[in-house]
Amino acid sequence: MEQARAGEYDEFVAARWSGLFHLARLLTGGDRHRAEDLLQDSLVRLWFVWPKIADEAPEAYVRKVMARAAARSARRRWWGERPVEELPEVAVAGDMSAIVAERSRLEAALALLTPRQRAAVVLRYYQDLPDRQVAEVLGCPVGTARSHAARGVARLRDLLADVIEPVG
Amino acid sequence: MDHFERQLTQLMHGDREPAAFEPRHRDRLRAGVRARRRVRAARRAAGGVLAAAGLCLGLFLWPHSDVRDEPSAPHPWPAASPTGGTAPTPSLSPSPPPSGVTTSAPPPTATTAPDVTPPATSGDTASSSPTTTPTATPDAGTTQGAAQGSSTTSPPSAPATANSSPSGGASAGSSATVDSAG
Repeated sequence: MEQARAGEYDEFVAARWSGLFHLARLLTGGDRHRAEDLLQDSLVRLWFVWPKIADEAPEAYVRKVMARAAARSARRRWWGERPVEELPEVAVAGDMSAIVAERSRLEAALALLTPRQRAAVVLRYYQDLPDRQVAEVLGCPVGTARSHAARGVARLRDLLADVIEPVG
Repeated sequence: MDHFERQLTQLMHGDREPAAFEPRHRDRLRAGVRARRRVRAARRAAGGVLAAAGLCLGLFLWPHSDVRDEPSAPHPWPAASPTGGTAPTPSLSPSPPPSGVTTSAPPPTATTAPDVTPPATSGDTASSSPTTTPTATPDAGTTQGAAQGSSTTSPPSAPATANSSPSGGASAGSSATVDSAG
């Protein structure tokens, strides 16, 4: 029984790892290590509820766990400031395009959003979820989820103005 | 959805880095599952210990059936209140309602006090015994030997109680008694 459960679980994780890891990277603003931690924690939670939701929608469960954890990441201590040997580059108004050019521009722009705005934008435009499901995943009212997504997109519009050419 | 939002959607789907599920990921996942399982077991054990401790404490503090809970004695009221008794004083005893006159003396009891009225004639006791007065006999010579031990040696004409009673008040009654006897 335990072996069968573990086999099914391993198959699911191996099949969905790439897509879930990409979602985790977007939710964390491109931080690879934080993305792995987020995905590992969510998959560990999935293990303990696997007998209940194995036949239903395990990927939706992992997506909800990751989105909520990423939205709460600002209040988590181990995702706070970390000591480094060299000071990172300080973002200034005129140097924003250079920072975006060094890294993946999209991930760098997402990293400048608040955790809730980033989660709402990723769920809305990467997962193609309507506002009602975005609000359900984040555990907030629909208006709040729509506001987070709109403000996040407006911020990304300013940050990615040179990357995404306007129509015309 | 405008042009920017469509471009944003394409960027999110296109910027996808291929990542395989490696053995290190599997090992780390197993380690995470074991750690979380230990944490859950520890929480369950701690919860059981707390529940048992709470149950024992509750049983220890539970009032036993052989000990009866009875109301205690009423609180003592102050002897004299500074307000002069303006505040209403609840009375638990079936005493009559308080009045203006303070009655601290117990009610009188009937036929319990002894009658200490002295007798009207205290001197009658001495006069009521006429036998103590010796009577004079005519043949005093025959009873001379016996008369020596007697206190009545006076002649029969003389009143017997004239010399024996020193008090005048009592002598009146005594003389009358002797007179009646003689």
